Amino acid sequence: MAISQKFLFTLLLLGTFLLVFVTYALPIGIIAKFVVAVAALFLDILAFSTKLYMSFFMPFLHMKNGTLTIDDSEAFTIAPSSNAIVTRRGGDVYASAFVHIPTYRSSSEMNQEEKVDFARLFSRALTISKTPVRFSAQLCVIDKDVYINNIKDRMNEAEERYQATSLNKNAKREEVERINGEATMWHNLFDNVNRVRSLALDVFAMVTAQGNTEEEASTLALQQADEIASGVSSVFGVQASLVEGEDILKYLEPDHMIPISTVSEEMRARAASEGT
Amino acid sequence: MDGLTIVYLGLTCGLAFMLLVNAAAFGPLGLVVALLSLLAIMLILVLNYADFILFPAITRLLSIKMVPAKGYYMPKGSDAVIKYVSGLYYATGYLTANIYNYVFAAESVDEEEEQKLGSAPDKWERIVMNAGFPFRFSVISMPKDLQKYRDELEGSRGTLEYRLSKEQEGSQPSQLVIDDLNRKISVINARIDRIAAGERPVDATMYIESTAVGVSEKEAMDALSNQLAHLQTLFSSFDLSIGRVMGREVYHLFSFGYALPEYSALEQTFSTQK
Repeated sequence: MAISQKFLFTLLLLGTFLLVFVTYALPIGIIAKFVVAVAALFLDILAFSTKLYMSFFMPFLHMKNGTLTIDDSEAFTIAPSSNAIVTRRGGDVYASAFVHIPTYRSSSEMNQEEKVDFARLFSRALTISKTPVRFSAQLCVIDKDVYINNIKDRMNEAEERYQATSLNKNAKREEVERINGEATMWHNLFDNVNRVRSLALDVFAMVTAQGNTEEEASTLALQQADEIASGVSSVFGVQASLVEGEDILKYLEPDHMIPISTVSEEMRARAASEGT
Repeated sequence: MDGLTIVYLGLTCGLAFMLLVNAAAFGPLGLVVALLSLLAIMLILVLNYADFILFPAITRLLSIKMVPAKGYYMPKGSDAVIKYVSGLYYATGYLTANIYNYVFAAESVDEEEEQKLGSAPDKWERIVMNAGFPFRFSVISMPKDLQKYRDELEGSRGTLEYRLSKEQEGSQPSQLVIDDLNRKISVINARIDRIAAGERPVDATMYIESTAVGVSEKEAMDALSNQLAHLQTLFSSFDLSIGRVMGREVYHLFSFGYALPEYSALEQTFSTQK
């Protein structure tokens, strides 16, 4: 059974009060009184620390080899409907849904009055929900993993063909040169793709609902997300939409915010250019 | 400081103070008890005001690595959350970023403030163009009880108007005080007008997070520190209250990424902008 922070604080505070009372009222020896006072001060500090460190108390007691495990389960699971995520804290179930807010206009296209209006609209958008909502603007690396892997495959294939053709004594010289040219083309394309980091700006809102079951929490979160989507659409005049499937991961997982192949190839290209 | 924190501080420091007052009853050990009581009061105050220093110091001293969820860990400095995927370390760190001026600007009648508000979109785009690495700016908006908030505002306005009339009727009225009170009253009036126009009162907490990648934990952490320092420079044009988040707050912000907290939990963990 999970103990609430307020309950533990009250318990520890009562303990402290009792021990302080003992030092005041009971006729005990000085040494015993001193031990009681030290215990009272310890409980007192512990009581206050529940306010800040409640989440860490139990994990601290079960700490092994210097590793304090607050939660060893997955940070979230994707709901079966694939348009929300589910998290569990203690016995409570929470579901969060995401709304993508497209942005079409740059401030360079606005006059001063429009800029002020836009800033005011942002302020108004913060107040559209009756429940807590998180608005985020994220600059993330454009996922070029599929594109890079495709180029890599083509490059390897062209190189293999070039090796095979150049070893073939019957192969025509023009054919060998053509395949060599193709392999060089893929090499150049591969190097160019990795030379520049491409970034994209995404704006989204996130809402969370609590429920007794995953389904209940998900349904509530999606209802709230729909409200946010229609509110944002009317405030900014854009078509905000629910985020579904793998797109949600971009807002949650660092390895989707910075895709693995894209960034590792960038790092390789950077290391190569620093080496030359 | 919120009311609940004052209660917690009052009760715990009060009990330690009771022992301090009674130190004479401990005979030769009285001085030790007095010192320990003072130390306890100081520790409670440090916990309240500077736990962002104390918490990382303890985790660093005891070499504690925290695991907030499967696949993630916080290094012993408690200043980032790290994920290890396919040979790469992804380090995510946080900055607090409450934009006080810009939310209050909408309530101000000052023309200069309006100009500041108009320059905000340009500043934002300049930040996005100059960053060159992934980051996320988030605003958690928490709606408040409308009636309760309105009552609070009207109560505050009443108090300010009373103080203003007392100042004006005084023998030596100070123009500085009168101007300040008038400004505060106009801010409250603007807030009441906005509520009357249909807006909901909200508290907001703002923060920035950035993620850096490296082939080793150190490389990722170094890159993260550089990115956060760069973001601090970029966002300085916004007059932000900005600072690196350390310790337990890193864990809380990490968990907010997956599920938003209830209002009371947020208020207890972070300062909110009203």
